[in-house]
Amino acid sequence: MTKGRGTDGSLLASLPWTLLALAISLGPHVPYLPWWITAAFIVCGVWRFSIEKRRRPVPSTWFRALLAMSCFLGVLATYSTISGVGPGSALLAIMAALKLIETRQRRDQFVLLFISIFLVMSSLLREQYLWSLPYLVLSVFMIMTAWLRISSPGAERPRRSFGTSGRLVMYAAPLAIAMWIFFPRIATPFWSVPMDTGTAQSGVSDTMSPGDISSLSMSDAVAFRVTFKGVIPEPRDRYWRGLVLTNFNGRTWTSSDPYAVRALEQVVYNGRPVEYTVTLEPTRQIWVFALDMPESWNLSRTFMGPQQQLARSIPIDQRMAYDAVSFLDYRTDVELSDDARDFFTTVPDTSNPRTRELARQMRAEHGSDAAFVEAVMRMFHEEEFYYTLQPPALGSDSVDRFLFDTRQGFCEHYASAFAVLMRAAGIPSRVVLGYQGGEVNPMGGHMIVRQSDAHAWNEIWLPDLGWRRIDPTSAVAPERIEAGRSGSMFDGVAEAWGFSSPSMWVYEMQMYMDALNAKWNEWILGYGPENQDRFMDWLGIDDPDWQKKVLLLIGWTMGLLFVVSFAMALRNGAPRRDRAARLYRQFVKRSGQVPAVGETPAAFALRLQSEDRLPAATVNEITRSYLEARYGVPDPTWLERLEKAVGAMPRFASAARAQRTA
Amino acid sequence: MQSGSTLEKLPIGDDQNRAALDRARKTLGTIILGKDDQIALALSCLLARGHLLIEDLPGLGKTMLAQSLARVLGLSYRRIQFTSDLLPADIVGVSVFRQEKGEFEFQPGPIFSQLILADEVNRATPKAQSALLESMEEYQVSVDGNTRTLPEPFFVVATQNPADQIGTFPLPESQLDRFLMRLELGYPNEDNERELIIGEDRRSMLEGIDAVASPEALLALQKAAAALHMSDPLVDYIQALVRQTRESPDIDIGLSPRGALALAAAAKAHAFVEHHSGVYPDDIQAVFAAVAGHRLKPAGNTTYRSAAELCQHVLDSVAIP
Repeated sequence: MTKGRGTDGSLLASLPWTLLALAISLGPHVPYLPWWITAAFIVCGVWRFSIEKRRRPVPSTWFRALLAMSCFLGVLATYSTISGVGPGSALLAIMAALKLIETRQRRDQFVLLFISIFLVMSSLLREQYLWSLPYLVLSVFMIMTAWLRISSPGAERPRRSFGTSGRLVMYAAPLAIAMWIFFPRIATPFWSVPMDTGTAQSGVSDTMSPGDISSLSMSDAVAFRVTFKGVIPEPRDRYWRGLVLTNFNGRTWTSSDPYAVRALEQVVYNGRPVEYTVTLEPTRQIWVFALDMPESWNLSRTFMGPQQQLARSIPIDQRMAYDAVSFLDYRTDVELSDDARDFFTTVPDTSNPRTRELARQMRAEHGSDAAFVEAVMRMFHEEEFYYTLQPPALGSDSVDRFLFDTRQGFCEHYASAFAVLMRAAGIPSRVVLGYQGGEVNPMGGHMIVRQSDAHAWNEIWLPDLGWRRIDPTSAVAPERIEAGRSGSMFDGVAEAWGFSSPSMWVYEMQMYMDALNAKWNEWILGYGPENQDRFMDWLGIDDPDWQKKVLLLIGWTMGLLFVVSFAMALRNGAPRRDRAARLYRQFVKRSGQVPAVGETPAAFALRLQSEDRLPAATVNEITRSYLEARYGVPDPTWLERLEKAVGAMPRFASAARAQRTA
Repeated sequence: MQSGSTLEKLPIGDDQNRAALDRARKTLGTIILGKDDQIALALSCLLARGHLLIEDLPGLGKTMLAQSLARVLGLSYRRIQFTSDLLPADIVGVSVFRQEKGEFEFQPGPIFSQLILADEVNRATPKAQSALLESMEEYQVSVDGNTRTLPEPFFVVATQNPADQIGTFPLPESQLDRFLMRLELGYPNEDNERELIIGEDRRSMLEGIDAVASPEALLALQKAAAALHMSDPLVDYIQALVRQTRESPDIDIGLSPRGALALAAAAKAHAFVEHHSGVYPDDIQAVFAAVAGHRLKPAGNTTYRSAAELCQHVLDSVAIP
């Protein structure tokens, strides 16, 4: 087709199917793509369709090149890179949209369907939820249907296409399952998906600057799930220790090097151990969460830092499960060096003068450190402090502003203010970030800790006691600690947004879905080398190495193919039908006669019999078997009979000839 | 499904219905003598859910064949004698005003029967003819705006005198197409004619025979016949024949796709009647003239004098795959 000529409208029937397949495969990407790519996608789809509808020409090569270039630059401008899942899928999506407007022939639509499959696959790099699988199957089904529609435009009814594509997907399923089960799993994959560092999401960040955030978004996303082996700790004991912030510059708290010292020996554990398994969602951070205070854990490359924080030497960029043992009763660092004392009492001299003054005053009023701590807690409890997720912004001297002016904040504000007060009064203190709470899923029996459970609390060091956990937020909003999530989640927030608490069945549905999700994670997504070996073991295969797995896979595939081909042979019947024709031609040749055009085998047989050159029985047998084998209901016995009769023929023929000559 | 290891075993269909069909064929053979092929074709036509046109000179037993078919198969039977003053209402029926009830009441015409003998169909005007032919196509009639469904099964056996006789309205090609088959009975041979003369009166003989099949059995047989196996080479054969009718210089208008479908359906039914486990080339050849004869338009300069000859010529020029 030359440039400038209008389209002939021949794609009008199949184009909607292609568009549908593309749209379905784009679906999972939409929440992550910049809005303009989705918009461009829709525009290109509508544009291409109207071109076809009005028989207009597709845009010129120059125009398309210009568009492609600008879209490429647009992606580059949005992400400032073109590598990674985000920019990659954005590029893929926008290029699919652009490919659409240069689609001229049926062939081009197949390319688009290939791109659709690629789009669907790439969405799995980003997320693999429970619903991803049915969606994937649906997408493949729709793409296959589109494929069939394009292959037979107009001739086939849509219902038939749907049926065929459903059958195709079903045929593929056993093979896919076999692949999934038997394909050797490798503990450390050869490749890794490049993660988008910019999109890391976690309720816990590496630093804390109360006052910079004026509203905390409540994410219901799961941070980690915990399965306890024994008794589940009380809500007030559910402090999931993450990282420890030690340095304060007047505005922002930061952590010191977590890899500096191994600190395990500084902890003395008492009481009974709590054993549990944590399934941590990827955080793209190094922090590993465990119940305060962890004693042992089996996650590789994970060490306890100098402030008893667990850190991994590489970021957690995929879901990880680890067993851990914690003790709720412990002591750490009963002895603190003078250097350490200085380090944990450092407050910048230049900021928050009012707070430092208040600390000095209060410390002077109260005789001991313990009494001072109690007084501060009482102050938070009794004076007009409010717990809110939407505190006003604080600006510089944030602690001063918070303690004396706004008096509204969430855990970070209280933890920060408390630590500064302590330090100003000469009491070593630090901030711990992690999660507090967690709800037990009655369906799965496991505990869910959500991003909205993220929490900040303090540790102060007292002589002879070591570091003690103290949570100033509990003085302000005790229900936040006692009841866990729902208390804090809906206090103020829900009313402010005009929600009422969700009804019970919504809650139950959520719990049920989460239980299902947990199983999904454990068995489907977590089907790694260990699960595979365990499953092989269960199947009775000892010591499954990768060769055995590959052999099993091949065996299964071969078996499947055998079953399928056997079924097909049964259905379509028949050894090859033309074998009957070949045998019959042999018979005709040996009979010495030539059937006339249009003479049926039966008529030919009659003629042969009237000429009496061959025994009537032979002719009848061959004709009968041939008719049945070639035209009758498929049945191999007729072919055998035909073969036998034709094979026995020369003897008859020569005998007949011999008789005549004699 | 079944293994036809011997010829004697009947491979297809419900045995009871099959046996009834065989009995029907045999019984018909005792009434209409020496016309075994035509009887097989007529039965095939009914099994293929087709309508039958019998065309021949008067007095060759056309009416007798239709009557005995109805009788033997246990179908309700009406005869419509087509004349030049026949009106559509005489066929489909008419609404009559009942004074005592104060409303119109529909009086069903003779068309509401399972087997209609439309005698001398070419004697009626095209208007009356089309009333019949439309009901054949639609299996329903519309009277006074009401659509009435015809009984099931519904067959029309029409007879026609050859068109060169005086006072006839020959059916146009498009309407001939509605008949699955056209048969010619032909004269009986001498032995059979002799038996006809000295033997029992055929009409009273017909009175004496009982139905050997039922409409239900016929419906089941129709289903079984339609499901008969047709092998790929046979489909090729049908296509080759159809192509030949379209390409032959002796034929102006060849078989339409509907004609090809009719050929396949008729061949299946014939194979069923003949106890073949699948459609044989012989079945196609047997029905070919009956199915194709009235659908072909011979070329003006053709040397073949009759449709039968023309059809035989087509058969003789196509190799059997």
